[in-house]
Formats: sequence, C-alpha cells, structure tokens
Amino acid sequence: MLFCIMSYFKELIHHALNTCEVMRVDYADVRIVRRQRENIAIKDGVVEALESTESFGFGVRVLRNGSWGFAASNKLSIEEVERIVKQALIIAEASSFTPGRKVILAPSQSVKAKYKTPLKIHPFKVSLKDKIDLLLVADKAEHVSPKIKISQAFYRGFWEEKTFASTEGSYIEQEIIECGAGIEATAIDEHDVQNRSYPNSFGGQSQTTGFELIKSMDLPGNAPRIAGEAVSLLSAKQCPSGEMDIILDGNQLALQVHESCGHAAELDRALGMEASYAGISFLTPDKLEEFRYGSDIVNIAADATLPGGLGTFGFDDEGVPAQKTLLVKDGVFSDYLTSRETAIWLHDLVPSYNKSSNGTARADSWSAIPLIRMTNVNLEPGAWKLEDLIADTKKGIFFSTNKSWSIDDRRLNFQFGTEIAWEIKNGKLGQIFKNPTYQGITPQFWGSCDAICNRDYWVIWGTPNCGKGEPVQEAHTGHGASPTRFRKIKVGIGGWEK
Amino acid sequence: MNLLGEKKLKKLVQQIFSFSKADQTEVSIYTFDHALTRFANSFIHQNVRYENILVNVRMIIDKRIGVASINSIEISDLREVVKRATKIARLNREDSDFVSLPKPQPIPKISSFSQSTINFGSIDRAKAVKTVIETAKRSNFTASGAYEIILSELSIANSLGVWAYQPITSASLSTVVSGENSSGYAFELNFDTSKIHPEEVAKKAVDKAKMGEDPIDISPGEYDVVLEPSAVAEMMDFFSYLGPNARVFYEQASYLRDKLGKRIFSPKLTIIDDPLDERGMPMAFDYEGVPKQKTILIEEGVPKAIVYDSYYANKYKKKNTGHALAAPNTEGPMPGHLVFKPGKKTTCELIKTVKKGILVSRFWYVRMLHHYQMNITGMTRDGTFLIENGKIIAPVKNLRFTQSIPAVLKNIVGVSKDLVLQPSWVGAGLFPTIFVRKFHFTSTTEF
Repeated sequence: MLFCIMSYFKELIHHALNTCEVMRVDYADVRIVRRQRENIAIKDGVVEALESTESFGFGVRVLRNGSWGFAASNKLSIEEVERIVKQALIIAEASSFTPGRKVILAPSQSVKAKYKTPLKIHPFKVSLKDKIDLLLVADKAEHVSPKIKISQAFYRGFWEEKTFASTEGSYIEQEIIECGAGIEATAIDEHDVQNRSYPNSFGGQSQTTGFELIKSMDLPGNAPRIAGEAVSLLSAKQCPSGEMDIILDGNQLALQVHESCGHAAELDRALGMEASYAGISFLTPDKLEEFRYGSDIVNIAADATLPGGLGTFGFDDEGVPAQKTLLVKDGVFSDYLTSRETAIWLHDLVPSYNKSSNGTARADSWSAIPLIRMTNVNLEPGAWKLEDLIADTKKGIFFSTNKSWSIDDRRLNFQFGTEIAWEIKNGKLGQIFKNPTYQGITPQFWGSCDAICNRDYWVIWGTPNCGKGEPVQEAHTGHGASPTRFRKIKVGIGGWEK
Repeated sequence: MNLLGEKKLKKLVQQIFSFSKADQTEVSIYTFDHALTRFANSFIHQNVRYENILVNVRMIIDKRIGVASINSIEISDLREVVKRATKIARLNREDSDFVSLPKPQPIPKISSFSQSTINFGSIDRAKAVKTVIETAKRSNFTASGAYEIILSELSIANSLGVWAYQPITSASLSTVVSGENSSGYAFELNFDTSKIHPEEVAKKAVDKAKMGEDPIDISPGEYDVVLEPSAVAEMMDFFSYLGPNARVFYEQASYLRDKLGKRIFSPKLTIIDDPLDERGMPMAFDYEGVPKQKTILIEEGVPKAIVYDSYYANKYKKKNTGHALAAPNTEGPMPGHLVFKPGKKTTCELIKTVKKGILVSRFWYVRMLHHYQMNITGMTRDGTFLIENGKIIAPVKNLRFTQSIPAVLKNIVGVSKDLVLQPSWVGAGLFPTIFVRKFHFTSTTEF
C-alpha cells in the first residue's frame, strides 16, 4: 500500500537513523513525505484539466566529516532504507573530494511535536463536482462581451503529510494544507490581446487554509467586472513613459517584496551558495545592521507563524520552530533568512551575529534537500487609508495585478509589469492604462517609499511557484502587503506597438 | 539504478489497462535516477541523488477526461490510480472537442543512451568538478556550478495500441566562474559523459571572466548586438511557446495568427524543429506516443507551420506533428528541438563585421511583458562586452533589455555557422550566435 501506517514509518525512520549512527555520521535527518494535489483548469466552459497526483517517498541527509550527502527513494522498505543511507554516505564521501569549508550546524533543540494547518473546511473533502460547478459558473460569468475570447477559472489543492526525524532526537509530524483559486478573462480584437485576473494572476490566490478561502473569493460575482476591465484595456491608452509617483496595489507589492527583499535576504545567496544559478545578493554580510535598505517607514519581516500564509508551518525541514524575524527595521537591513549551517557561517564573518537558525530551511519534496526559502515575507502595514493616499497623490499611477517580473542576479535592477493601471490626477483615479511597467534599483526604490496603507488593506498573498536551487525546487511563499506609495519611479518602459 | 526495461514496462502497462473500464486509456511511466553534484565557493556544497517513478493515467469515458498519477508500481497502487482517474473522469464534463487518443504509428529507433553515463558515479562527478575548480583557482577565480546526470526511461501506451519506449541518459556540466568584478559562464550537454569536457568548460568560463574584468559603465539605448547561443536559446523558448503553438494560434493570441506564409522575419532566418537530429538530444515520440515530426517553422524569414498534438490536430483537422506535452496539458503543443540553419561566418568573423555593438553571452530572468506582441524583458549576465570596429574593446556592466522578439528576428543580419547544443523548456536545440540590429537596452545595473 502506498500510505504506510505510522508505526511502520517510525520503524523505518529509526532504522535509517540507527544505520547512520552506526556509520558514525556527524548528523543525519530523515523525511518521509506524502503529497497529494488536485488541479482543475476550466477554459471557455470546458474542463481542460482535472487532475489528481500523489507522491510518496523518503530522503536521508547525512553530514560526515563536514560534508553533506543526500539520497532519496520512492520505495519504502527496510532494505531500501539501508541502501539509500549507504548511497547518501557514498555521496558525502565524494563531497569531501574538493576541500572547502566544513559544515558546522548551529545548535537547535531537539523537538517532539505535531503541527497541522488550522482550517474549517478541508479542501480535499469538498467534492470535485462542487469545485467544478463553482468554477464553471465563474467562467461563464466572464463572458460579458463578444471580445472576451478566452475565459478561464482555476483551482489548486495541496495536502502534505511529513515526518521529520534526526540523530539529535527530533521527531516532528506535520500536515500542511493549502488551496487556491482564481479567474482570468482574455479580451482580443484585431490589434491587441489583454487579460485581467482575480483575485490575483497566475492561478489566483492561495493560502494555507481550508475551502472557506475559495468561498470567500466570490469568483462569479467578480467575473463580470474583471472581464469588463479586460475589454476596456483593448482600447485604453498605453502607459505613459517618464518619472512618476506610483501606488502599488497589495497583490503587486507582494511580488515586489518577494523579489527585491525576500530573495536578497536569503543568506545562502549572500554567501555565494546559489551563484551558479539564482545568483548572489547585494546584501553582503558587511551591510548587516548598517545598510539603509529603504526609507524609515519600511519594516519587512519574515514570519512563518502567520495564519494563512503559504510560508506558514510548525517547523522547518531542519526541525527549527517557525518564528518571526525582522529583515528590515526602520529601513535598515537587520537580518537574513538563515539555516543551521549558514547561521554559523555568518557568525564567522560577523562575530557579533550570535543567532541560531531562524527556521527557513525548506525542501520542496521528499526527494530534495532543504534550502533557505522565504516563509512569509511581509511589508508591515502603515497608517494610511487608501482613499486618503490616492487623494494625497497629485499625479501618479496606481498599478494592480502582476503580469511580468524580472530582476538581476544580485537583486538590484528590477522591472515589473502589471495587467492594469489607473492614472491618478489631482488626487483622483482616472483613466486606465494598458501594458503598465515600472523599473528601479532596489535600495533607491525602497528609499522612495513614503506611505503605506494600514492593516485594513493588508492581505497575505500566496506565491506557490518560487524557483531556486539545482535541481530546481519550487517553494510556496506568502507575502503580506497593503497598497504603498513610491515617489519618482521610472514608468512606461520600452517600445510598444500601437 | 536498475532500469525496468521495455519488457517489464510493457507488462505493467498491460496490467494497468486490465484494471481500466474506460472507453480509452493512456498510460505513461517515467522512471528516473537523478544525481547532481553542486559546487560553490570552489568546493562541493550540495550533493544529491534520488530515484522515482511517475505513473500517469488518462482516462476517457464518454468524452469526459480524468488524469491521475502516482509514484509507485505496486499492484495495489496501480489499481488505486486507475480507480482515482476513473472517478475523476466520471465527475468531469464532456469535452465535445475531444475526438480520440492517437492510433499507433511506427516509431523510429534512435540512440539516446550511453553506458558511460550510467557508469558515471558520484566520485566521477566529484573529479570532474574538481577539474573545473582547480582551473578556476589557477586564475584566482572562484567556481560554482553543477554536474547533473539523469538516467531515465519514458514509456507511453494507450488502449488503441500505441506503444513507445525510449531509455535516455543525460549529462550536463555548468559553471559560473567569478572574480572581483567579473564572471564567466560555460555549459555542456550531451547524453554521453565521455563527450563532456570539464577542462574545456572551465577554460571557456575562465576566459570569459578574464575578459570581463573591470567592466565600464555604459548607457542604455538602441544597439546592434551579437547574441551568443545561450541568449538565443532563452529567447526562442518564449517564441516557441507564444508563436507556433496550435493552442495559442487558434485562440488568436499568437503573434503569428495572421502571418503564416508572409515574410516577416530576416531572410537569413530558417528554423526547423527536428527532434531526431543526432547532433542534439533526440526524442522519437511525444507524450502521447506519436512519432515526432520534423517541421519547418520558419523558412528564409517566412513562418511556415505551427505544431500540433492529437487534440488540436483533431479539432482543426490538421496533421498531428507529434508535439504533445504530458497530460493534462493546458499549455498547448510546443516545439522543443529547434535547429537553426547555420550561416557562413564563425562567431569571430561575425564580430568583425560589427561597427559598434554589444556582445551578449547570456540572458537572465527573462519574462514576457506582452504575449501577443512577444515583448520580453531580462538582464544580460556573465559577460557583456562592447564591440567597436570589429573588436571587443571593453567589458561593460550588465544591461536590462526590453525587446520585441519579432523585431529581433526581423533584424537579424548575420547567423554564425557554429551551432551549440542548448537546453530548451521541453527538449534541447542547436542554436547559433546571431548579429541583430536595433536591440533595446532600457536600463543598467551596478555590476
């Protein structure tokens, strides 16, 4: 049977760890993970995809003589556990072929605990029929005009059951449940193609929560408005070019925070460990607690305890408890996202840094090693009401709903595009613009932040597809944000066909 | 890893069919053993290996389609995945555009498997990585990168009699070599590890990093550019997805929607999708078990064809070109084995023809701004240089481009005769260096 009973899990785990101890490792951990996913994609009234996936396996990570080895398999048996442990040890030995920094782990208390995502309606207990019916109604409601050529509705469900154990005595069982949904309307005429999404682009909004999230979205109720905007965009003016004050809606700001702060604050990047792929970081260790990242109203925190965030859990994949860390405090760069290995490394470079791991080591499956990943990286809310912020802006552009994102390999030069933007003129929202883009350099951009909306507008947005690592891994991260203003930003980038 | 082999996989597939009561059933089984040795700061810091099996079952019952997958070949689990797919299919709505899964066609036998790759273990990867690191160190550079080995078998079958099987080995070595203020990138891919040369990979990256030392500032603007194969491949991934893709085309969202048969690109541009080209990473069939067809996508600047899978071929009464992706596929069929027709000049000879321009080694973080216009943005990375009067005169700091792909293809004035194997989203292709006029850089960065 694919799903083993808990006592068999424990037997396998103990056997793996005992084998590791007999082989005299410095440290070892084991993860057994079962993942179930449901995906539904509707297009133009047709269920284009209706899929259920299941994946089950285990991975063993060993540290020997300061070098890592990792091996994993989809087969669960005593014999396979022994084979995989041996494989991990051989790989660790091969790792020591190239002399380099020996891995030392920051201390962490051993933990025996359980965690489960709190929710009201388990998304996997809601019938597929009900889900499909809801999406079909929303999809149909997008057809407000013959110019709507493509209507789409999406649902995703994710259910992970994992057990982590280590040679230090930790034994942690966790159950993480997520769901998400959204709609997208595409309008097409002889000259252009424009789309609008709700509540967010690229599949919608996702959180660690139950089906109550989907119900609260009112997809059918919002579909006509979204589709109407897509049609209006066809004949809208192109976003002007120049330097302007901009307000970013929360769903766009979430990705801004993700790309320009979250990734920049990953300590493994700053230490060069991701140089071959995702790049490094301009936030080098010498900048810690010194560097002005943004204006003094900018406070950015990583918080894995936040209810509903895609980066919310009980313990990371090194057994470190979920916690909150202030990455930027009053505009000053104040901490990194760290793991047990990198926290010690940072202490060697910055002796005043005496913190242990802040619990951001996460693996995307049983077959992957934990890497430093964002949890929920949030811009703390400010004091403004949105209507007051708009009224306070003489001339500017209000950007909403991400369409494109790009940033350099040190997290400095970025460019974003959104689906729609509104002109702000004399404190009022006016005409819409199509193909809106803006561009900046990270610290200058955040240095121009002068107003953040309050908690009434603060939403924790989900990014279920953050890529990093080799082999590449996909992390689910959350980002809380309220609409926020930035002054004198370059907008309207590049040439566009009329 | 022990490969299951064609015989055993055929037996498993027959067992799955025996559990199914659907009108039509498709099974794909992908077994793989994936190892990767990763290095940074000139030592191995991550080293992994995992084995897995993916069993994907697509059921069709009264034109209702359900897909389920599992990663086990235990009989009880195979029964379970069939049961799950059946339940999903029954709950689904009818797709009136669905006609049928494909019928069997002869599939050519190709070679994509190397024993030397199978035998290439963790110590071999470590030794190769050590060669790269030591080469970099001799020039006072730091090396990072990865040596990746994938051993796999892909089998596709359906209840109409399709059976396709291909064992595949893949090896790739990549490195970024970094100095104080420069970096260089190199990459090699082959199905045979004996054709991957760590010394050459290292030297190429080191030479680029040396050339790139002390980059100067440069203003953004319109420039002539020489794009090396890695940059060309990255750009063409977006073209493949947005252009000759039957789904996007018939949704009227493709740039090519009203342009087939018209010369809209440079006459120097001819691109064929050739999945069987032995210089590449050949693939005999698509994810529905249909033999992949060689397709002329662009001929002397004229877009000629788009690619199809069974769904879109049936829907629009066209020939299935064998470009299906794994079910359930909402992205449409895509070409993944682009082969450019080479030009007559080497890359060095092309550079000599540039009066003033920028040599771009590689793009990074490329994203679409507008699907229909095929506007993309991204950065340069790991080696960007100013060319004047046919000579590389200085390295420059990295630039952001915001650019229309059709404009690039229209403004090609030179194609190199050397083609380089590069990975693509759904395969691998052979890409040249291209010389392009009027490329738009819209901002710069600090390094």
